[in-house]
Amino acid sequence: MSRNYPTRPETGVLLDVEDLATGFKTGRGLVRAVDGVSLKLDRGKALGIVGESGSGKTILSRSIMGLLPRRGVVRAGEVRFEGARIDQLTIKQMRQYWGKEMAMIFQDPMTSLNPLMKIGAQITEPLKTHLGMGRETASDTAEKLLVDVGIPEAHRRLNQYPHELSGGMRQRVMIAIAMACGPTMLFADEPTTALDVTVQAQILDLLEEQRRDRNMSLILVTHDLGVVAGHTDEIVVMYAGKIVEKAPTGVLFSQMRHPYTEALLASIPKIEQPSHTRLHAIAGRPPDLVNPPTGCRFAPRCQYAQDRCRQQEPPLTAGDHPEHAYACWFPVVTGGFDRPAATDATTDSNVAVTIGGLR
Amino acid sequence: MAGTGTAHLHTADEALLRLENLVVEFPVGRTGLKVNAVSGISLDVIPGETLGLVGESGCGKSTTGRAIMQLPRPTSGSIIFDGNELTKMSGDSMRKVRTNIQMIFQDPISSLNPRRKVRDIVMEPLMIWEVGTKAERAAKVDATLEEVGIDPKRAAESQPHQFSGGQCQRISIARALVLDPKMIICDEPVSALDVSVQAQVLNLLEDLKAKRNLTLIFIAHDLAVVKNISDRVAVMYLGKVCEVAKSDDLYARPTHPYTDLLLKSIPVPDPTVKVLATKILGEIPSPVLPPSGCRFRTRCPFATDICAKEEPQLRDIGGEHFIACHHPIEHLA
Amino acid sequence: MTLITDTTSMTPTPLDVPPAAEPLPKRSRSKIHVGFWIALAWVAALLLMAIFADQLSFIRLPTAAVKNHGRSTAGYKLGPGWNAWFGVDSTGRDVFSKVIYGARTTLKVGLWSTVIGLLVGTFMGLIAGYFKGTYDRVISIVVDIMLAVPPLVLAIIIVYRVGDLQQDRPGNPGILKWFTRTEQITVVLSLLAIAPLARIVRALTMSLAQRDFVLAARSVGAKNFRIITREILPNLIPAMMSVAFTGLALLISAEAALAFLGFSVETGTPTWGKMINASYRDMDKAWWATLFPSLVLFLTVLAFNVIGDRIARHYDIREAAL
Repeated sequence: MSRNYPTRPETGVLLDVEDLATGFKTGRGLVRAVDGVSLKLDRGKALGIVGESGSGKTILSRSIMGLLPRRGVVRAGEVRFEGARIDQLTIKQMRQYWGKEMAMIFQDPMTSLNPLMKIGAQITEPLKTHLGMGRETASDTAEKLLVDVGIPEAHRRLNQYPHELSGGMRQRVMIAIAMACGPTMLFADEPTTALDVTVQAQILDLLEEQRRDRNMSLILVTHDLGVVAGHTDEIVVMYAGKIVEKAPTGVLFSQMRHPYTEALLASIPKIEQPSHTRLHAIAGRPPDLVNPPTGCRFAPRCQYAQDRCRQQEPPLTAGDHPEHAYACWFPVVTGGFDRPAATDATTDSNVAVTIGGLR
Repeated sequence: MAGTGTAHLHTADEALLRLENLVVEFPVGRTGLKVNAVSGISLDVIPGETLGLVGESGCGKSTTGRAIMQLPRPTSGSIIFDGNELTKMSGDSMRKVRTNIQMIFQDPISSLNPRRKVRDIVMEPLMIWEVGTKAERAAKVDATLEEVGIDPKRAAESQPHQFSGGQCQRISIARALVLDPKMIICDEPVSALDVSVQAQVLNLLEDLKAKRNLTLIFIAHDLAVVKNISDRVAVMYLGKVCEVAKSDDLYARPTHPYTDLLLKSIPVPDPTVKVLATKILGEIPSPVLPPSGCRFRTRCPFATDICAKEEPQLRDIGGEHFIACHHPIEHLA
Repeated sequence: MTLITDTTSMTPTPLDVPPAAEPLPKRSRSKIHVGFWIALAWVAALLLMAIFADQLSFIRLPTAAVKNHGRSTAGYKLGPGWNAWFGVDSTGRDVFSKVIYGARTTLKVGLWSTVIGLLVGTFMGLIAGYFKGTYDRVISIVVDIMLAVPPLVLAIIIVYRVGDLQQDRPGNPGILKWFTRTEQITVVLSLLAIAPLARIVRALTMSLAQRDFVLAARSVGAKNFRIITREILPNLIPAMMSVAFTGLALLISAEAALAFLGFSVETGTPTWGKMINASYRDMDKAWWATLFPSLVLFLTVLAFNVIGDRIARHYDIREAAL
């Protein structure tokens, strides 16, 4: 990538979110979609945000990027990008960041691409407006971008419309558009949920490759722990607008402490399990964020919940690994799915834990 | 791959449903070209079994499901359900047969009429067939809703958008069950759901199947999901069947290169396992002009000249395991 | 945690708001604009006055000559005032009462032609969109032809021919001669409404027919008639309501335009277009005789447009939430 991108430091903190809260005013009251989330992301690293729909993961990423409507939305907390606060900026000021510093790709590439515009025009537009490229240069760059994201016959594709491409190709085009202005951070919001497993694997590889080539940070938002496992450095698990567990990816999978994380993992059908293995579904649904339950928000669905969980909210406490934190009074210790009784945190052992049934 | 052949079929009287050389083609506008959605597949389902149909989008798995329902009618081939040839049936008798085969769709929201009350949606099949008295119908609907875990009271006063995706899928299941069908065709029923909800729906289907002695056809693109629920799996590619085997056997001995690719693409929830880089394999070709011979050869790492010339036939490799490939992956016995 | 207070009354559409665990209270509909209520009030007031004009003492008969201090007011001798709110016209008749009686005709013609247009247009659109194939091709050609001819020209041609046919000429079958003038205008205007409605209904039906719930209905054994009436039609109604109101506004202006050009209902029955046509040459002498009917026409057309627009937006929000 030898384009005229400004030189940037190689390492260090890129994004620093502190106590971010985002709520929506509705007829029923304030929906606290994101409720006090803090996280840091280093340059060139990949962060996975995992949770069910309704966990606030999508709102969190849009809130960080300042993409939510200003009306009817209440925000609090701080968002620092490259050390500068961006949470108070106006839409006009945010335009300095969108595209050039941070970009986003969405779940459904068909609805996020303009169906009436040729692929070429959609990629060259940001090149012309943000980087001030001429028509010729922009067109050449667009072709190179399509080659970069693995689209065959790139030159011919420039003159095609989105509906002429397959779902996977459209998602590649979306990635090319997001890459156009060389962003330092990419938000990928369920980028593979609408795709086949084979194509999903390709797109995840592509995102990883682009991240390494460009020293770009990636935030991968998904409901599937399987998607983030091989493609992130760190994972944040969200439930009901709060972070319930965060850890470096390897640590999270080997020393999982929060029952919700455990339940999310247990609900995935594993290919190596024999057919008709009973899945561990999480009963019920995420709570209503207008009136969240007191105490731990996961308690009503947690198989280990005790009285304390329903009365006191557990704080985010450090685990054995310095970068591991979880919010639970009775964290999972053995990692077995059929553990009958909860173990008190005080009798916690330091044994490294492995999750049963995994390769 | 992707062969034709009927070596893998059970005898006619063993099967509840038997497809033979099913072909479904759609015209492409008025160009004279046609989409070869399904190109001569043969499959069968024995009573009480769950048959998984797996493959990428465009492989014809959903078209096969709909062709069984005669929606639309297939171009050629035979579909025998419970001793009746469906393709030759008149519209009216087909309507009656359909009550024995029901469908569940991928998009839980699109498959429910947004302007009707949920209870009326589930009641609709009983109204069409004028089953029982009003009170009997109401009792049946309420019992079915409870069976799938939906509160009938809430269903009576709410429209589909007031329910979550997982609940909408339960409502679809209730609608499919209310006529007490013998077979349910599940067309990607969990693809649009979160993993946590997906597990709930899969468990519910397993419970219902056991309780009602149902026969299921389960269509999906995720082999892990298909394996979990199915007794037997048929892998499809570009309108053809590549491999048919018992679920556990298919995972233990993936013999067709395409099955192997599908298996390796599944994201593994374990960071120490690296998912195979699938870059060179590209995407499924257009079904308008499918490759000659084996349809998978354009993406197959083992393809040779014979694959372009000759279409492989499904053959028995032992243990009720059938594949259509010239260069199968060898497994040590 | 303190939240920044941001005072806005608009309800946003949150992207990821979870459904409540308990049954929701009756969905809080998006707040409807003040303009909608004003428009509705205007239409309601006009309708009530038009219907009960004979019973309301403040509305004269449109044929009654207005006297000013016992003298005739013919020739615009009385401007707007207490005696005649909107003044009098050249024949000395009360403009206000003529506007109200005109509303009777105008609204009757507009409403009936919209209803006919809706029935025929919806039927055509449903058949074309649901059955496709030959039905679709034939109906689409008819619709395209109807849309290709400028609407007013079409109307003039038809009205002219209809008027022609109505005169009992030897050898002329007179297909519409048993219709009154008002009914003829209604039929002509409904022809204008059919094509756009048929086209909209066709497009909506096509997209609805592809939805899985239609397939689901077929798979439980529903027949086409049931699918069309139970599954498709209810989903068309919001869009059709919106289009119908906007169409009503258009038809009212079309009626006025036709009347202005001299093609209108029976002599003696006032309509807004006829009133404008009769008085606009005397604008410099008596502005009120032209301005008031024009103003009422303008406000009514605007009101129907606002209502149609609001209905459309109201349902768009609901569709988006699905």
